[in-house]
Amino acid sequence: MLTLNHLVALLPLVIVAITAVAVMLGIAWRRHHGLTALASAAGLLLALLALPIASGAPDSPPLMRVDGLAIMASTLVLLSALVTVALSHHYLTGYIGPREEFYLLLLCAVTGALGLVASDHLATLFISLELLSMPLYGMLAYSFRAERSLEAGIKYLILSAAATAFLLFGMALLYARTGRLDLAGLVTVLATAPDTWMLAGAALLLAGLGFKLSVVPFHLWTPDVYQGGPAPATIFLATVSKLAVFAVLMRLVLEAPVFQSDRLATLITVLALLTMLGGNLLALFQSNLKRLLGYSSIAHFGYLLVAVVAGGSLGMETAGVYLVTYLATTLAAFGVVTQLSSPFQGEDAAGLHHYRGLFWRRPWLAAVMTVSFLSLAGIPLTAGFIGKFYVIAMGVADNRWWLVGGIVVGSAIGLFYYLRVMVTLYLPEPGMRRRDASNDWGSRIGGVTLLATAVVILILGIYPTPMIDWVVGLSAIR
Amino acid sequence: MELAFYLSGLVAVLATLGVITGTSPVHSVVYLIVSLIAVALVFFALGAPFAGALEIIVYAGAIMVLFVFVVMMLNLRSDTRTDQPWLHPRQWLGPATLALVLLVAIMVLLARGSPGTLIDGELLTARSVALTLFGPWLMVVELSAILLLAALVTASHVGRRNNPLHKRKRGGNP
Repeated sequence: MLTLNHLVALLPLVIVAITAVAVMLGIAWRRHHGLTALASAAGLLLALLALPIASGAPDSPPLMRVDGLAIMASTLVLLSALVTVALSHHYLTGYIGPREEFYLLLLCAVTGALGLVASDHLATLFISLELLSMPLYGMLAYSFRAERSLEAGIKYLILSAAATAFLLFGMALLYARTGRLDLAGLVTVLATAPDTWMLAGAALLLAGLGFKLSVVPFHLWTPDVYQGGPAPATIFLATVSKLAVFAVLMRLVLEAPVFQSDRLATLITVLALLTMLGGNLLALFQSNLKRLLGYSSIAHFGYLLVAVVAGGSLGMETAGVYLVTYLATTLAAFGVVTQLSSPFQGEDAAGLHHYRGLFWRRPWLAAVMTVSFLSLAGIPLTAGFIGKFYVIAMGVADNRWWLVGGIVVGSAIGLFYYLRVMVTLYLPEPGMRRRDASNDWGSRIGGVTLLATAVVILILGIYPTPMIDWVVGLSAIR
Repeated sequence: MELAFYLSGLVAVLATLGVITGTSPVHSVVYLIVSLIAVALVFFALGAPFAGALEIIVYAGAIMVLFVFVVMMLNLRSDTRTDQPWLHPRQWLGPATLALVLLVAIMVLLARGSPGTLIDGELLTARSVALTLFGPWLMVVELSAILLLAALVTASHVGRRNNPLHKRKRGGNP
């Protein structure tokens, strides 16, 4: 049964869920865009403040585990969601039609993400994953009168359903062999040598989760969905959704020994290599910025898989540090796209030509973009460098030379297209059709958030010690 | 009981093959109903009569009715193949045979005695399911509730008919 202690441990999730219901009732009573956004942000902030209380709870509720990994991932999920809400408000002011549902869907998805990162049972894992994906269909298809948005939503829905089938089949195989659904039970049964069926089940689980992370053989949906979805939905997909799924993958790998068997480790290594090389190669001659960022996020999750291969507490530390840097960077990069596309005018400003000469029009926005792309490329003094340094150091320490080689080659390729975008920002403007941010973008809450994110990238790059201490401290809590 | 399990499993696979190879939506729906009933029988054979009954009530009953409604509504205007003989044996022989196999299986089971004595494992009753769902699994139930809310909001948003953009184009015609 659920006791008061359990509810305290679940406090952030409960707060976000209550906010979702409150927002829904508010919409039913009277529509007000600004108030809805404010209420959503307040709920997310409250949940963030409740996290320290939740981490102090003496025991975890049944089917869930509130440990260091869950607290770390929850913090990052809530922060990313807050940034998304801040950026959505200005974006949606231009949307004709109901705007408030976007926040409702976002809050539902955040509830799913919070449940997912704390799930300790295949049932919670599955339901939370669905709860994370279902609102995303709606968010991606939000401006459904624009053809691409609807296409993105339907594409994600259908392919996601296929991935869910893989996931369920993997769970069924594991259940058939072990008779258990809770991770602890699975681990005790699987402690003996895993047989072919269990390996197949684990591989299918991996495929299902790999789809959500757009690991290379399962990445085909990524560019279209990233391009078609409204910019705030794309931000959410690239940050919160991927982060939560990665956290649960990390938990599976850390706890279930079947994932550390030689065959599966080889499989993940191959996937990681394919992902980092494939993502970078596909991005090379991409002229659509949202597609380019989509491919780049594929490549980054290739680097992150190195931490999964290594496993152990060092693997978790690396994954945590890399995730923090990835989130800050991605939020800034997509944030600029959102700012340029706000208020909503149908298609987002994603073509590279929209960004030509941005520096001469909007120097600060171009500076944020430059910082985020330098960070994506992993240039020193930005957050991305710290993340990449960690991954390479761990690859070397773990003697995974193939993976280290892959990271080096991938980063070299990546540098080319990141620099191409950066150069575009500073080219003189040839009088092409231009999309511009509104004049007061810097004084709006979204603009302020964006500038703060860029500052965070620089601070993390120059003085990462507090962030690393935070991650290490949380990795130790089991 | 074991034979019934494998038999209905086979029927479920065959009927599902019928669903995905069929060209007419109505025939696919008929195959799908047979497939769902076969899965329900699998549940019975495994000792979960409650899950089996739910499968029939929820899936074969409620959801299939929705499917048929949608198929009928979509077919309202552009049914170009009305000249096709709907009652031709080729159309109904497949699902009917599969359903007959299921009927024979359950008849044989019933003739041999009550299912409760034939099932080897423990029976999963409605009471134990409810105790699990509203005891330790309460969070899963709550998360599913929010999942349904999200699905509902998504469907109502994307399915919205009154497009403000269209209204503006049409002028004063509401």
